[in-house]
Amino acid sequence: MSFLLPKLTSKKEVDQAIQSTAEKVLVLRFGRDEDPVCLQLDDILSKTSSDLSKMAAIYLVDVDRTPVYTHYFDISYIPSTVFFFNGQHMKVDYGSPDHTKFVGSFKTKQDFIDLIEVIYRGAMRGKLIVQSPIDPKNIPKYDLLYQD
Amino acid sequence: MPALGPMAPAQRCPLCRQTFFCGRGHVYSRKHQRTLKAALERLLPQVEAARKAVRAAQVERYVPEHERRCWCLCCGCEVRKHLSHGNLTVLHGGLLEHLASPEHKKATNRFWWENKAEFQMKEKFLISPQDYARFKKSMVKGLDNYEEKEDEVIKEMAAQIREVEHSRQELVRSVLEPQPVPDPEEGSSALGSWKGTNSLVASTSQQPSYLDLPPAPELDWMETGQPLTFIGHQETPGIGNIHSGATPPWMVQDEEYSSVNQQIGPSYEEFLKEKEKQKLKKLPPDRVGANFDHSSSTSIGWLPSFGRVWNNGRRWQSRHQFKSEAAARNKQSHKKSQSFPDTFSSQQTHT
Repeated sequence: MSFLLPKLTSKKEVDQAIQSTAEKVLVLRFGRDEDPVCLQLDDILSKTSSDLSKMAAIYLVDVDRTPVYTHYFDISYIPSTVFFFNGQHMKVDYGSPDHTKFVGSFKTKQDFIDLIEVIYRGAMRGKLIVQSPIDPKNIPKYDLLYQD
Repeated sequence: MPALGPMAPAQRCPLCRQTFFCGRGHVYSRKHQRTLKAALERLLPQVEAARKAVRAAQVERYVPEHERRCWCLCCGCEVRKHLSHGNLTVLHGGLLEHLASPEHKKATNRFWWENKAEFQMKEKFLISPQDYARFKKSMVKGLDNYEEKEDEVIKEMAAQIREVEHSRQELVRSVLEPQPVPDPEEGSSALGSWKGTNSLVASTSQQPSYLDLPPAPELDWMETGQPLTFIGHQETPGIGNIHSGATPPWMVQDEEYSSVNQQIGPSYEEFLKEKEKQKLKKLPPDRVGANFDHSSSTSIGWLPSFGRVWNNGRRWQSRHQFKSEAAARNKQSHKKSQSFPDTFSSQQTHT
């Protein structure tokens, strides 16, 4: 699954992807290729990537190779998916505590497609944060452990 | 008109819900016996269920369904099927009480005599007072059993809550202590226990017998034995992150510019990007989208509606009308502007 999607291995490559993807939603999956939940998510991403080719560009990023980004996005659970549009980071309210990224895997391909469409439409209208169309019970639950 | 058959005053049979003029002969007719049999067949299962309850009375928590009433054919009245008191119900208690009562016995006898039903069937619909006493005893036993069960369930729930609380405290303790590597298992088991507590707390209000059903399918999808991998806190207090509003890494100017970029003129990637932009330019200028050229002039037919109000056809119909009207309008204005020079010229030729 993960060999079907393009991979980014350095900070520079990620920079380039963010700055050069135009008129399409940029999906960056931060995780590790061997992790089981990442595999699930990669499966969904690769199966939908051709259908969404006009709306979205999907890349996989290894969290161990890009510590700068892992630190910047505060990625504590993998897989985490971050969305961009025209170089602008898109936030989505999933009903979870963190709006800046999607933590975990999607339940169905349709959930992911719906989310991409909502982000695309919101971005075309100039919004920076959109409301997720996914049913809250399909959003993986995780706990934000705060450091004292 | 000659009288047909035996004449008698009009009488109404409540069972067949019909008026007849045969006097006492109606009761022996086939139709009446059929109706009678059907009615008794409807009543019989209820009585049988009540009779079973005589031996083993069941006590359950009260549910609005227990308000159901049953129609007693013989007495002609509605009777509460189950007996409720407070928030407990004894199944079939009400019906049994009614069946054992002496008025019901008298009414049943009268019913049997009047409708000429089968004699053997009568016994099935009566409950003797001894049976009723037996039922009362088993009811008391049932109540005791129910109380015992309730206590057990409450104790179980308390034990579960205690267990979850304990694991939660352990986790907090382990996070506070400075550990070299936070165990991924600990993190994931904490996740599992959070979910468990949340679903438990949500369903304590429901009936204890239904406790197992809602949390199980929910845990199915979420857990599947694979909670999210925890890769450690991304905290270095010096450097900011997205939540603290630091500059994003892709905006930070990189110093490592290789000699390739010092070439003059656009590089190969930029050339490709220009090609993409050319492709975009080829898109119809009137299409709405991210790159819509707001300065481009659009025709009058560009807007989605043509101003028609009561239209219920397709868009091309209103467009067709609009176009013909526009043509007529244009022709009129054209004619007007043309008619002046025309008259001029005609006048000139005349003179």
